[in-house]
Amino acid sequence: MKQVVCKKTELQPGEKMRTNLGRIPVVVCRTLDGEFYAFSNSCIHQGAPMSEGAICGATAPTDTPGEYRYEKEGEILRCPWHGREYDIKNEGRMLVDPSRRLPSFKVSIEDDNVVVSK
Amino acid sequence: MVEQTQTNSQKDRRLIDTDIHERAVYEDLIPYLDNPWKRYITDCHWLQEKHMPYTQPSIAGVDRADARVPDGRPAGSDLAFMQKQLLDDIGHNYGILTGALDPSPSSMHGWYEMATALATAYNNWQIENWLEKDERLYGSIQIAGQDPQEAAREIERVGSHPKMAQVLLPIDDILWGDPYYHPIFEAAERNNLMIGMHHNEPPTHFGKWPRYFIEWHTMIPTSHMIQVSNLIFNGVFDKFPNLKLMMIEGGFTYAPHLMRKMDQQYKDLRHEVPWVKRMPSRIVQEHICFTTQPMEEMSKREFMQYVDQMGSEDMICFSTDYPHWDYDSPTRALPSLEEPLRQKIFYENANAFYPKIPDIKGGNE
Repeated sequence: MKQVVCKKTELQPGEKMRTNLGRIPVVVCRTLDGEFYAFSNSCIHQGAPMSEGAICGATAPTDTPGEYRYEKEGEILRCPWHGREYDIKNEGRMLVDPSRRLPSFKVSIEDDNVVVSK
Repeated sequence: MVEQTQTNSQKDRRLIDTDIHERAVYEDLIPYLDNPWKRYITDCHWLQEKHMPYTQPSIAGVDRADARVPDGRPAGSDLAFMQKQLLDDIGHNYGILTGALDPSPSSMHGWYEMATALATAYNNWQIENWLEKDERLYGSIQIAGQDPQEAAREIERVGSHPKMAQVLLPIDDILWGDPYYHPIFEAAERNNLMIGMHHNEPPTHFGKWPRYFIEWHTMIPTSHMIQVSNLIFNGVFDKFPNLKLMMIEGGFTYAPHLMRKMDQQYKDLRHEVPWVKRMPSRIVQEHICFTTQPMEEMSKREFMQYVDQMGSEDMICFSTDYPHWDYDSPTRALPSLEEPLRQKIFYENANAFYPKIPDIKGGNE
């Protein structure tokens, strides 16, 4: 299954959009380096619509209590309900449990079109 | 009618949602306030004291990011949007409104006259704009509990409304079981109302705030445990035998530990509280229900272990906590349960708890 979801210029770096691949709800994300990624639009926890969440960064793991460092700006997709953090550039894996991840889809650029496929 | 719009599968899953947060922005209350109270908001920009020191936990503060009203108003402030996103979409039979704890008249640390006026205004606003506009919604009476006589008068004033199901007491730093507050329970019982307790800003760590939100949110059930213990050992349920208590948004998994611990203490220390006539665990079983949210993720086997230790299938009532960030989905939050128990948790237990909510026949009976 393969589908054009938008023009490349219609989704700016740091933005996301909801679309469908056939009948599957999909969220397409564009990271700050201009790359495109696509995931299931349903959070694996309780099914929240991920497209209503936020593309943001995350506080980096540290060995020092009280130390805050913000990293991965534009690379984290955060759930609109419970706030779970998924790493866009690491196959949609959950930061606290990388063994769990959002189902992902292939994205290619054909001419100026963003194409999602599975 | 609600039933006519439901699919067969929704009918099978009858649902009473025991925790829905409607929100009044202060401007909503102004038409329901007399002077001088109105002028304290319009001229002096009165705001309720709030103390939480943390950056809010999720991407939209304490709300679901998708629950903000499309015109920009706060989540929970618009009935039509709530109907669309929650009541109609999920297929609720009934929902219990529990307010947004801002304003929370019973939480004010002074100026109880203002608190009393706010409670009256809030109740009138709630009745006119929510309870009388959607047959599925039932309400919680706001009071200024710090002044039990005024609180009892407010309960008498609106308690006979057919859609007012309970009196709301916030969990902050007042222990409501103290005999000083018993006029509240007396008025509730006289009006066939239950008590709903929901935390607001409980000081869970030695009267102060812990360093991080994650600590505070993890330990909220301790503030619920304190209230349950306080009401039981102050004899509230012996003095008011028809009174029941819904503990809202603390979950239920603390209950087995608390029941066992109170029983053990009662065996040893009954002489201190001779007005308590039954084992505390039995009082809990006969008088108290617990809402599910926020659910810890667990298997059916784990879930049933908690039920087994509570000694009853009649004490757990489903809740979503809509529109808050830790909302629980009716279709995803609980493990798959056997049908009789599922019916109890999603509908029958709350239906039995709230005498004003009429029964809807259906499901797999």
